[in-house]
Amino acid sequence: MTAQVLTANGLLDGEVVFFAGGRWVQHISEADVFIGDAGAPALAAAEAQPTVVVAPYLIDVAPSEGVPVPVAYRERVRALGPTIHPDMGKQAENRREAAVIEHAQGAARSTGRVALIKRK
Amino acid sequence: MPTLIRLDAAGFRLASNDWLDLGDEDEAVDGPILVSAARFAAQADELLTGNRPVGVRLRSEEPVEPLAYDLPRLALVALEFPKFRDGRPYTAAQLLRTRYGFTGEIRAVGEVLREQAGFMVRCGFDAFEPADGSGPEDWGRAAGLFRHVYQVAADGRPPAFVERAR
Amino acid sequence: MPSAIYQYDAIDSAMLADRVAEFRGQVARRLAGELTEDQFKPLRLMNGLYLQLHAYMLRVAIPYGTLRSPQLRRLADVARRYDRGYGHFTTRQNIQFHWIKLKDAPDILEALAADDLHAIQTSGNCIRNVTADPYAGATADEVDDPRVWSEAIRQWSTFHPEFSYLPRKFKIAVTAAPKDRTAARAHDIGLQLRRNREGELGFEVMVGGGQGRQPFLAPTIREHLPVRHLLSYLQAVLRTYNRHGRRDNIHKARIKVLVAQLGAEEFARQVEAEWAATDKAAVDLPDTELARIRGAFRIHPFEPRRGPSPAFETAKAADPAFARFVRNNVLAHKVPGYAIVNVSLKAPGETPGDCSADQMDAVADLADAHSFGEVRVTYQQNLVLPHVPLDDVPAVFAGLQAIGLATANIDLASDIIACPGLDYCSLANARAINIAQDIAGRFALPERAEAVGELKIKISGCINACGHHHLGHIGILGVDKKGEEFYQLSLGGSGEEDASLARILGPALSGPGVVDAVERLVDAYMGRRLDGERFLDTYRRLGAEPFKEAVYADAHPA
Repeated sequence: MTAQVLTANGLLDGEVVFFAGGRWVQHISEADVFIGDAGAPALAAAEAQPTVVVAPYLIDVAPSEGVPVPVAYRERVRALGPTIHPDMGKQAENRREAAVIEHAQGAARSTGRVALIKRK
Repeated sequence: MPTLIRLDAAGFRLASNDWLDLGDEDEAVDGPILVSAARFAAQADELLTGNRPVGVRLRSEEPVEPLAYDLPRLALVALEFPKFRDGRPYTAAQLLRTRYGFTGEIRAVGEVLREQAGFMVRCGFDAFEPADGSGPEDWGRAAGLFRHVYQVAADGRPPAFVERAR
Repeated sequence: MPSAIYQYDAIDSAMLADRVAEFRGQVARRLAGELTEDQFKPLRLMNGLYLQLHAYMLRVAIPYGTLRSPQLRRLADVARRYDRGYGHFTTRQNIQFHWIKLKDAPDILEALAADDLHAIQTSGNCIRNVTADPYAGATADEVDDPRVWSEAIRQWSTFHPEFSYLPRKFKIAVTAAPKDRTAARAHDIGLQLRRNREGELGFEVMVGGGQGRQPFLAPTIREHLPVRHLLSYLQAVLRTYNRHGRRDNIHKARIKVLVAQLGAEEFARQVEAEWAATDKAAVDLPDTELARIRGAFRIHPFEPRRGPSPAFETAKAADPAFARFVRNNVLAHKVPGYAIVNVSLKAPGETPGDCSADQMDAVADLADAHSFGEVRVTYQQNLVLPHVPLDDVPAVFAGLQAIGLATANIDLASDIIACPGLDYCSLANARAINIAQDIAGRFALPERAEAVGELKIKISGCINACGHHHLGHIGILGVDKKGEEFYQLSLGGSGEEDASLARILGPALSGPGVVDAVERLVDAYMGRRLDGERFLDTYRRLGAEPFKEAVYADAHPA
């Protein structure tokens, strides 16, 4: 069963955010994990909040050490921050979460990203 | 009837939309009629002798050149924006005004948003059917945002290089 | 200090102020939900604001790559106040800030406008920043100052009501020297200034170049366009494109596709027909305005000095590091006694093209003290102090050393062009910066880099080619293969007057693999080069075979 997390960017500040029980959080370790299609209603709700977030989409994740780690490499970079600046972005704010994401096993194509491209 | 805003020397104001948008198969009636380019190409003389104002509706991919000959007898050209991002009607309007000297109404229809009011006015549009619920005041504000312009366009505003030479 | 660069008059400044007010209103309407994201997106793009991987990115225009020192200080100020203390110079002579908030954007634009800076049309389907030779006004080999014409185009194209919703983006480059430092042939329109046999100044007009998914070198559609007709001719090209460019498929929407589809001859015929029907006098700038613009680029109060500069020569003899800096970064100026000094933003271990706010301020100070307050940005993501007296070059070198900007590697293997890639960009498939850093690391030893000589390595993190990989002597394209980063090598590209598109060498390699491969390519070149041959020359002479073998014969491909 695929596990997914809903992500978006905050409209006002552009920050990467994750959906957690009706609110938007900064770190993926706090995000709600949806199994199968369960993320669809949250996605619809996010799309209906155009003054809160932009470009919401679902990403595939695989749990690792208690953190829903994105399967796609791109989504990992998005959850971490620029890899050449470990002092910037979410990786600097939550070192434990960053370490789990960095060490997690292999990556594959992200369905979330493919959906984004199709929408364009 | 969609909202119609007209621009004249006094500014932007609501106008009554008296034009009948005729489908290609509809019968031509009395009163101002707006027809497709295809229908006009087929029935121009017939329509124009009917003693009522005639207008042509151009889709964004349709050229203005075929209308050139009949422009003096046309009261209206409606240029369609299928999406607000389709920039072809701007060229069409400029050509109608500056190359073909059209003095009738050029109306923006389709996905017409007040954010593009300034550009539309500069290119020679003088009538607008907004798709975003905006009114004449919104259009007046949006179109009046820039005190100067850099280039010559259909609206005849003096460009910066003319202002500088004064 | 009086500036010899175009400075905004009251009208230019009013344009910026009105634009800021307009954007403020648009942002407010977006935040209030009166504009959808779909309606707002082109508006924010036309103010240079992208939604990127980690935050909004703001691309600030640096018209024809020229900055006055107060402007560079203003960019440093924006980096400090609204970003994370640094900026990134791009392959279009612009600067990008990667950590911007939408709610700050109107204030940032207002702050920029105080120094005649803006982000107008740095994105969107409109005419973008016009780039020019970074050595304009300093190089002996130009027939005219290309910035005069770039400024004319800038004004004409700004808020052009007919050409703000083109099928796709539109990029123009202007060059005036036989050596092309702008990659003109790879632009939608490249303009090469030249004198014809009668001595009249004109443009060779090249239309339909571009990189990205389908690279093209622009064919020449007009050999000689008298300079006074520049704008009316551009109008004819843009109008033809606006009317007939494809709008059904974003990947087929650039003018290069239209030109390729019609053929250069037919495209030229359509443009000429449109131009013939144009009221040129209404569009072309009157002589008074051209003179006004030209006058703004007046000559600095240079004090020409013939003969060697004792300070310069002494420093070269005494300090091998300075001598190396002169060899690689310093070029002759058209005025005797002066020099063009390149400032490399490719220090070992740093992100190519990145510059901290402190470094920007320091370069501004050096410009004030030693370069008539002028700084340039090159499309190779470096800076230039264009007018340094030879006597002052040692002091400039010392000043650059103090801020970590004295790397003596211009055009060498470690002077790599790299886009921000997957570390920053939501379009990217792979990272580019780390690859650039790793490759540069292999050539960090200055002796080695100099021994290899001119080698232009260009890295793009995706097919959009912002790293110009199609024009690299070695081009590297990051691809996503089953969710992992792989890199495709191409060889033999050039963005200069001998323009050529790089050709794919073989199957994509892993990150470490491609870094190794570059060393093998260099070894293959070193082992076969003839006297005076650069990497590009040896490749052009021998073809791909020996290089293919060097990389793939016993390598373990992906």
